[in-house]
Amino acid sequence: MNKTLAYRILLAIIILGLVAAVISWVGKPEETSLQSSLVLAGQGDGSSRDVQGYTRAGGPIPFVFPDDFGPHPDYQTEWWYYTGNLTTPEGRHFGYQLTFFRRALLPPTEQLSRASDWATGQAYMAHFAISDSQSNQHYAFERLARGSAGIAGAQSDPYRVWLEDWEVNLIGASVYHLKAKQDGITIDLTLTDVKDPIPHGDQGYSQKGPEPGNASYYYSQSRLVSDGSVSVGAQTYPVSGLSWKDHEYSTSALSADQIGWDWFSIQLDNNTEIMVFQIRREDRSIDPYSSGSIIGADGGVVHLEASDFEIIVLDTWKSPNNQAIYPAGWRINIPTRAIQLVIDPHMANQEMNLSYAYWEGAVDVTGVVSGQDVNGNGYVEMTGYSGSMSGEF
Amino acid sequence: MKQKPHFATRPILTIGWRYLLRHPWQSALMILGITLGVAVVVAIDLANASASKAFDLSTEAVAGRATHQIVGGPNGLDERLYADLVRIGLNANLAPVISEYVYVPDLGSNLFQLLGLDPFGDAPFRNYLGDSRSGQNRQPIGNLVDFLTTPGAILISSGVAERNGLQDCLLESDACTMSMEVSGEAKPVSVVGFLQPTDDLSRRALDSLILADIATAQELTGRSGTIDRIDVLIPQDGREETEAQIKALLPTSVRLIPVEARSGTITEMTTAFRVNLTALSLLALVVGLFLIYNTMTFSVVQRRSLFGTLRCLGVTRREVFILVISEALAAGMIGAVLGIILGTILGQGAVRLVTQTINDLFFVVTVRGIQIPITSLIKGGLLGILATILSAIPPAWEAASVQPRVALSRSGLERKAQRAVYLAAGGGGLLLITGIGALLLPSQNLALSFIATFAVIIGFAMEAPLVTILLMKASTPSLGKVLGSLGRMAPRDVVNSLSRTSVAVAALMVAVSVTIGVSLMVSSFRYTVVAWLEQTLQGDIYISAPSLTSTQTSAPLDPRVIEHLENWSGTDQFFTLRSVNVDSPQGITHIAAASNTVMSSERDFLATSVPIANIPAQLDSGSVIISEPYANRMGISNPGGTIYLYTDSGVQEFPVIGIYYDYSSTQGTVLISLDTYRNFWQDETVTAAAIKLTPDKEIDAAVQELRESLAGEQRLIIRANQALRNEVLEVFDRTFAITSALQLLATIVAFIGVLSALLSVELERQRELGILRAVGLTRRQLWGLIMLETGLMGTVSGVLAMPTGYVLALILVYIINRRSFGWTLQMQVVGDPFILAVVIAVGAALIAGIIPALRMSRMMAADAIRFE
Repeated sequence: MNKTLAYRILLAIIILGLVAAVISWVGKPEETSLQSSLVLAGQGDGSSRDVQGYTRAGGPIPFVFPDDFGPHPDYQTEWWYYTGNLTTPEGRHFGYQLTFFRRALLPPTEQLSRASDWATGQAYMAHFAISDSQSNQHYAFERLARGSAGIAGAQSDPYRVWLEDWEVNLIGASVYHLKAKQDGITIDLTLTDVKDPIPHGDQGYSQKGPEPGNASYYYSQSRLVSDGSVSVGAQTYPVSGLSWKDHEYSTSALSADQIGWDWFSIQLDNNTEIMVFQIRREDRSIDPYSSGSIIGADGGVVHLEASDFEIIVLDTWKSPNNQAIYPAGWRINIPTRAIQLVIDPHMANQEMNLSYAYWEGAVDVTGVVSGQDVNGNGYVEMTGYSGSMSGEF
Repeated sequence: MKQKPHFATRPILTIGWRYLLRHPWQSALMILGITLGVAVVVAIDLANASASKAFDLSTEAVAGRATHQIVGGPNGLDERLYADLVRIGLNANLAPVISEYVYVPDLGSNLFQLLGLDPFGDAPFRNYLGDSRSGQNRQPIGNLVDFLTTPGAILISSGVAERNGLQDCLLESDACTMSMEVSGEAKPVSVVGFLQPTDDLSRRALDSLILADIATAQELTGRSGTIDRIDVLIPQDGREETEAQIKALLPTSVRLIPVEARSGTITEMTTAFRVNLTALSLLALVVGLFLIYNTMTFSVVQRRSLFGTLRCLGVTRREVFILVISEALAAGMIGAVLGIILGTILGQGAVRLVTQTINDLFFVVTVRGIQIPITSLIKGGLLGILATILSAIPPAWEAASVQPRVALSRSGLERKAQRAVYLAAGGGGLLLITGIGALLLPSQNLALSFIATFAVIIGFAMEAPLVTILLMKASTPSLGKVLGSLGRMAPRDVVNSLSRTSVAVAALMVAVSVTIGVSLMVSSFRYTVVAWLEQTLQGDIYISAPSLTSTQTSAPLDPRVIEHLENWSGTDQFFTLRSVNVDSPQGITHIAAASNTVMSSERDFLATSVPIANIPAQLDSGSVIISEPYANRMGISNPGGTIYLYTDSGVQEFPVIGIYYDYSSTQGTVLISLDTYRNFWQDETVTAAAIKLTPDKEIDAAVQELRESLAGEQRLIIRANQALRNEVLEVFDRTFAITSALQLLATIVAFIGVLSALLSVELERQRELGILRAVGLTRRQLWGLIMLETGLMGTVSGVLAMPTGYVLALILVYIINRRSFGWTLQMQVVGDPFILAVVIAVGAALIAGIIPALRMSRMMAADAIRFE
């Protein structure tokens, strides 16, 4: 019996043992993640759900504040839209957006009484974005929450709209606190409304199409003097500037052939603001129900019809996210008011590539008003460039 | 010039192959031994693996990717805590959860886990409502309208829907409406959608899940205002700061705990159970090893002259060694493959038994039918091959190491074997002492305990040759007197072929002793439990709500039921119990809060720190008594100390004044007075009630009367003392079903071992017996001789198995059980297992004698001695 053989056998046993060990190690189940999809009774008709049972915007109803700052659950869709242009003392520019969307899941009349405080017929969604134009970074976040159990909601008195810790609330007469934070991006602002709420259209009744009810109720707080801070990562910047708030509610405002809109809010250094929007149709024409408002330094409003203004696209930008081609530079002429403006995005990529993609970005404004040079900033929203918005709102 | 060895090896190896082929009986038996050993190991490993996989899946299906949980007292959390936390803006995802076991008659008899989730905030945790991480597949909220707004809306898996013929019910109105039973109350629910798993694993997890919106779950479970817990996902970056931040925000009754802390306690408890099963399965393999060793030895012995010739012809030792090992390897591989196949089949049954036991004893596993983990198969197979080779080494060595001249002489081996008897006996004695010494070490290590137990068993087995010789020598005169020369011949034959007979005796002895040991343990266990039930169940009638899980009785009783019972005319004494799990710094702790401290402390105590008479009063003033498994788990050896529990007012300490015997769980219980409990926890729930009847009431009639008078209320389980006792014992018996199955398998392996050993012995004696026939031994006498021999061997096994089995029972009762489950059992020695063991041993031996006897008696004497 020689030794090498004994060693070989020993070796073979060790190897067998090692193989067993390796197999049982390799065979360890990797971290599993349970996957499933969902088949639902109501699937597929989510976007075209019946608007029956909801109130529709049928004609002018003068706003009553503070009541109308709050939610209008009789209408299917509602949003509170905050945008603004901010600069640090050194002149570094930031744009921001904080929007709260409300969408009714059921008309209030169809909601059954439920024992749970969590039961709700309202879904809330919020979008938060910061445009850091100096470093050409755009940060966009989305959250969803049920409109119950204190998680998300809106109320009129004292005014407050919130989704989790993203929140805007009244902290003094015409003074608001706005805050949002996610993944190291933070905004914290105090907003002071220096003008009263501005109703658009006919006393706030903003018609979007020829069919009755294809309209919304719409007002803005067009000049919110803003102070506070923006944080990006570890860096916190003191900022000041101007914000703009839109509040709009409706039930299926768009007609079937209206695929999206371009919306402009402009805050000029002559203490006036301009809002114009144009609705685009499937055939690429501009809908005659496009309109706008000019808000004077004194808070007076001049309503603009579609025929009162023209928007000329100067440049385009192709989204790297979805290949949609967006306009990226405009000339806006309002001949009746001797207004000629050139609008330039502070940065090209301000696409909100979230549940649905749209472009919402800070813009730089230069131009001439009644022969006077003006400067300013604004926000532009463009929807329906990567899929129709019809039926969504 | 040195010749390369492998030139010569090839023709030699064919000798081995030819031998295996020409002795199909022996080869088959050897392969069968390996097959059974591997099969048992594989089956148990499959059962264990699938039980833990099922547990992981159940956990993941519910916990998802949460890193932490925020948990509160017995009644969960105030629902407002969730909104308060999410509105602070923590660097963490939060999701509210309600989970409850429910039963839906229309979906079959299985238990379901109702999971109440908030679809808006749940995506980072679970993928059921769309995977938010990938951004794909997310449900537009518009699609979830029915799920969110229809009262009683639930989602079930598409598989469950199909099995219950509901796959098309979404298309018809009301077709998906059914009744769900929650805590004994029926609630209307309607299926509004199906969860469609995308892979097999998810399918299994989803098959036991019912999803509902958190609001719906609150309404179904009657838990408005509270949620069970908040799942928390804290990113790795800055985890500690976030943890500290969250902890600072929580009220005193609420805690943030890492997810592992919760599931850890539970898996830990089943580990002991699984180690026990593995040990038992290895025992089957050990018996199989004897068999392989025996068969290989025999084949070597039979070919001693062949090996001698080969060696004379210049074949090296190493080649002979390789020849024998390669035979073993071949048999081992075939046996392993067959064992894997058989093990997979046996595994199906084992999985069911193991899952049932885990459900009974530890936690609810709602996931069933796990796929076969390939690693279990490979592990079992390799183990079998390895064991075969190891047990073939001694005979191979034997074949290779004899001198060519000695090998050719026939009696060489037997002489050597008899010399080895004393060596084996000495070694066995040493092994025995070492094993017992190791068992007496105060270590709680289970693996060590089992290795030591194996050492003891093998130690006993090594005494087999010596005992065989002694017994045979002792029995020769008396057998001779009764049966004449045949009576003297048989015991001498057994001694003369000791190298084979003793191994067969040892194998049979091991199997039989395991039968005795395990039977004694189970009967002691049962005896202990019966005695304990007698003492614990002092009420006449027990009332509880169906909790759907046998592990806990936490379904609350309706207060109206309590009131009715208390004021019922037949009630002499009435007492209530709140059974609940609360958190402690050491993990989940089961609390039994009893209203009647006098009755609750009428138990057997392991130790007390106050006089037993004072215990009720001490319990009333806030002390606690703990059960033995709890004390063991917490490492508390003496009362007098304190334990810590998370109460609604933060961590509180409770003095421990006694440790009592308890066999209701391995988790252990802290017994506390109901008043104390209610002082520290805002919880008025009662989960069980017991009644002592007035003397004029007859129990069965009283049960009937109560059932009728409470029929309109909550669905209740009203049982007489005896019925409850029977149910507990039923669970007990179910728990040991798998033990009995394993025991039976080990006995079968041993039986085959004896069969093959005896077959070998008798085959080798073919010529000897042929001569005996030639000189006038009748067929009948031949039968008698063989049967006497095998019967003697069986008797020796039985005799030796008795002390071994008794020692094994002692080890199982006093050491293994205590270390595994924390239970001290009262050893109860009954005669049955001993008698049964001898019957099995002798019976197996006699049956094993039939084949050789048949063969020999049919063979013509001339054929048998043709070689002479």
